[in-house]
Amino acid sequence: MVQQAEHDGGELGKAVHNLEQAEKRLSDARVEEEAAERDIAHAIDEIKDAERGHEFVEVHVIHVNEVEKASFKEKLTATLQQVWDKSYLELKIQRKPKDVFQTAGQHPKSLMNYLGLTLKQAREQKVIEDFRFGIVSETGGA
Amino acid sequence: MAKANEQPTLDVQAGTAALEEDIPRVLKVLGCSSVEELGWSRPNKLSLLVPMSGTFQDKKDEYLLRLGFQAYRRWPPSAQFVNPTTLTYVYPQDQHFVPKLTSPECQTHVAYQRTPQSSKIQLICCSATLEFYEVLHNVEQHHLWRETDTFFTTITAIHKALTSFYQGRFSIDGH
Repeated sequence: MVQQAEHDGGELGKAVHNLEQAEKRLSDARVEEEAAERDIAHAIDEIKDAERGHEFVEVHVIHVNEVEKASFKEKLTATLQQVWDKSYLELKIQRKPKDVFQTAGQHPKSLMNYLGLTLKQAREQKVIEDFRFGIVSETGGA
Repeated sequence: MAKANEQPTLDVQAGTAALEEDIPRVLKVLGCSSVEELGWSRPNKLSLLVPMSGTFQDKKDEYLLRLGFQAYRRWPPSAQFVNPTTLTYVYPQDQHFVPKLTSPECQTHVAYQRTPQSSKIQLICCSATLEFYEVLHNVEQHHLWRETDTFFTTITAIHKALTSFYQGRFSIDGH
């Protein structure tokens, strides 16, 4: 009888021990799961940051009449009108009523008919080749 | 600021000084260290030679623009397309060295006469050229040359017309 009770007590103790071990493993797994979730969230943030980085481009603007230039970062989703507007702030030059926004370089092309396009659209539609622009006052000569 | 219906006055010394002052400003904004780096040249203190090109019907034509600074900067530089060999323009034999430009901002004439008694001149009809004022061309107030403008304004205006409004080379007979 005593032997049976001792045997039963040993079985119970082993079962309790196994339960405690299992609970510990579960606890460890949960800690690991939480750490993995944090790592995933961090990785997603890193991916978003990297994607945001690709959405910005360096814009270069020359004011032809004032012979001044400025460079600044701009979103690819910004319209040419927004880039033009921001250019005056960056150049610290006041807009004149007959100013024209155009491409820069050896073969400047007016962008006045494309001001609603985003930088990305303008590049995709080959309206612009790069992100270099010029501001110039209109001349007369017709 | 230039004035409409006023004949430009020449001031060679002021023109030379203003050009000396403006060349470094233009080079800086273009990120270059010399006019040669841009393909330009300065045959004398009052002149700048600027190669240009236009493409019409898939054919690229080369031109040479000569800027003169005899009335600069109160007035814009003189601008003439010239024979690349002689560096001058003589009508009628050099008219095929002139591009046909038909922009509302810049048009070319190989033999412009202000009056029947006037001599025939090449006119780059643009408010950023000296000749435009010399022929007393009509001009809107907002198009008038300002003394804060530089020869870069002139080059850019002509470049832009060559990019979007180029109609080929004037033929030998001027058409």
